[in-house]
Amino acid sequence: MTAPAGFAEHGFLRGMPAESVALLAGTAAAVSFPAGRPLFDEGAPARNCWLLTAGQVALFLRAPGTEDLIVETLGRDDVIGFSWLSPPHEWQFSAETIEATEAFELDGATVMALCDHHPDLGFQLTLRMLGAAVRRLQATRIRLLDLYGTPGPRAGTR
Amino acid sequence: MNLQAPPARYRVAERAEETHDTVTLRLEPIDQPISPHRPGQFTMLYAFGAGEVPISISGEPDGSGLLQTIRSVGAVTRALCQAGRGQVIGVRGPFGTGWGVADAAGQDVLVVAGGIGLAPLRAALLEALAARDRYRRVIVLIGARTPGELVFADQIGGWRGRGAEVHITVDRAVAGWTGHVGVVTQLIDRAGMDPAATLALICGPEVMMRLTARALGDRGIAADRIRISLERNMRCGTAECGHCQLGPLLLCRDGPVVSYERAAPLLSVKEL
Amino acid sequence: MQDAGPAGGPLLMGAPGLMTLVATLQNGGYQVIGPIARDGAIVLAELRSADDLPFGWGVSLEPGGYRIRRRGDDAAFGHSAGPQSWKQFLHPPREKVWSARRTADGFEIEHADDSSPRLAFFGVRPCDLSAIKIQDQVLGRGQHTGSRYAARRSDVFIVAVNCTEPGETCFCASMGTGPQAGPGYDLALTEMTDEGTHRFLIDVGSAAGADVLASVPTRPADDVTAEQARAAVAGAAGRMGRSMPADALRDLMAASHDAARWDDVASRCLTCGNCTMACPTCFCTTVEDVTDLSGDHAERWQSWDSCFDPEFSYLHGGQVRSSARSRYRQWLTHKLGTWHDQFGSSGCVGCGRCIVWCPVGIDLTEEVTALQAEAAQAGERAPGDERDKGYPA
Repeated sequence: MTAPAGFAEHGFLRGMPAESVALLAGTAAAVSFPAGRPLFDEGAPARNCWLLTAGQVALFLRAPGTEDLIVETLGRDDVIGFSWLSPPHEWQFSAETIEATEAFELDGATVMALCDHHPDLGFQLTLRMLGAAVRRLQATRIRLLDLYGTPGPRAGTR
Repeated sequence: MNLQAPPARYRVAERAEETHDTVTLRLEPIDQPISPHRPGQFTMLYAFGAGEVPISISGEPDGSGLLQTIRSVGAVTRALCQAGRGQVIGVRGPFGTGWGVADAAGQDVLVVAGGIGLAPLRAALLEALAARDRYRRVIVLIGARTPGELVFADQIGGWRGRGAEVHITVDRAVAGWTGHVGVVTQLIDRAGMDPAATLALICGPEVMMRLTARALGDRGIAADRIRISLERNMRCGTAECGHCQLGPLLLCRDGPVVSYERAAPLLSVKEL
Repeated sequence: MQDAGPAGGPLLMGAPGLMTLVATLQNGGYQVIGPIARDGAIVLAELRSADDLPFGWGVSLEPGGYRIRRRGDDAAFGHSAGPQSWKQFLHPPREKVWSARRTADGFEIEHADDSSPRLAFFGVRPCDLSAIKIQDQVLGRGQHTGSRYAARRSDVFIVAVNCTEPGETCFCASMGTGPQAGPGYDLALTEMTDEGTHRFLIDVGSAAGADVLASVPTRPADDVTAEQARAAVAGAAGRMGRSMPADALRDLMAASHDAARWDDVASRCLTCGNCTMACPTCFCTTVEDVTDLSGDHAERWQSWDSCFDPEFSYLHGGQVRSSARSRYRQWLTHKLGTWHDQFGSSGCVGCGRCIVWCPVGIDLTEEVTALQAEAAQAGERAPGDERDKGYPA
């Protein structure tokens, strides 16, 4: 497979050594989705991840009696899909496009096999996956602080 | 003017409920009006018998009255939020430093608002839109708690129509929300401003302002081109009661708008 | 040194002249405030006549200690660092700012009677004169020129008294505020009680001072006596009870936010705020809006506040400065450091009241010395952020 156009410029890959980028590019496919298209369902086997280049995707949970609970929206330069990395290899959330979306799709099994043979690629990929996850964790922690809410009763300790 | 000057009386000409706990009052003077304000400045609003609070002016000094957006968080703000048309409110001011939007001439203006922080920034945004040609891009990033707590929601279309690029995100979505969900700093990469030629104005909870200023700095905007609006206990507004000190700054006189370059070392000291 | 009396130089007045001096001021419409001995202290109150002055009373001062004692002479001004300063007359502890009453369609402000008596301050020490000028800068300049403080201040007649006998806790010399009074007085007295005499060398500082003195029995001072008086004041500078290492305090305070010393002083400080009440330059106030039971009449009252009060830094349901450490640090770094940024001078005049009137005897000259030592040690250590490192097990 030849490298899809624009792959090396994706924000997720910033700073990755060229050899590793080339290895990954060989397995990446440029894909597009119309608005309102599911990417994956909670509980289904997790096999891919996507490097988004345009559009917007919502991560959500379905709950009875109410509309879908959106936990986060992702767009250009974001990576979506971590659950393929570790057991149970099942999607923890559902994802659906909110707008027409374009991305590079990476097949999980293929990437894992590549990393087994090319430890440098494995390290580079892990670093970036971890970085994306940490940034998402930091943002989520801030949201949990509910900074825009009214100050409530205090615990009385310091 | 000093602490001891009594307030000028204003009457509530119009009252708009922005969210469940936030109200915008349009005030018209009964006595001699206060001097025209600069966006970023604040007044001390007096509710008869209840007391005074500092409230940023959220409109332009265009002669259509004083616009003040108040969030109900205590006894005085509750009284102000309950004020109906015709009620008399006391006003002292305007006090403090302004956003200085004009310093962005020829550059991008980046406005980042968190929660009620959009109110003091609206005055700056309206000033920029009134002279739109003076600036390159005018970009507004808004973070709200939930879609229902987004202030000035009905005005955003108008801002876009006048040349502002507005991006909104919420901490928590509710049914039917199809916009961004995430912290406001996650919008920065969508903003598209030129870091070398941007004036960034940030207002919101202090934690949000610190994180946003750092994120903007990481993307190449110089600390002296980032301005934040600081808040401390304000009692007089006239630099004579000592309450609003933050290190060397008397925020009613040297703030509330302060460059991040000046504020950053002060904000990092515990309990300063 | 200020200019002259009628003859161009200092004058000499016998102690009985004090009676005439006070009476002349009173006849001129001044309410004369001066020191009196009462309630076991030298306090400031209205003088009925010069007889009310505390002749023969002195004080013994130490950190957290104050006692009046009998002197061996009859000096009227042989004492220092009383519990009060002149700020209570220019910047009252509590005053009504304005009142308002509810009307059918709103409310109306009722304008208060702004008049206050003309005051003569009789016996202002050089440190306290400097303190008055510092408060002028905070409360009387710029946008405050129309304030009540400015109005009261504009008409005050000041009789300063140079110091020849510093108190045990005084350090005006190291703060550059004494023992010789700087400009700003109408008259400055130097009391001399040597060899059984009791007289005053008088320097005239203004036309108003010269006018008042015209009714008082004086004669031009001879050079020997004048020299004796000057020498006594100059000599006092070398006998101060304490010294503030006053170099570069603004920078020291700015660099000391994380000093360990603050924890040390916080373990002693009761955050009682006595220091802020006794300090002649502390100016912080709070306002209270109150109504009567009917809710139809509202008043705004202004009263002294202290940065040691936990509510002083109230914000969003809590306090920014909650710990004793942060509140003591705020007081001292403001007084000696950020005061320069805000008002262009130090906030401390070296009167020593905070040392005397602190119930646990905290001495700010000692605290500053410790902070300097800590800063010097920190400077000697290798640079680097030590917060990232753990301690060796």
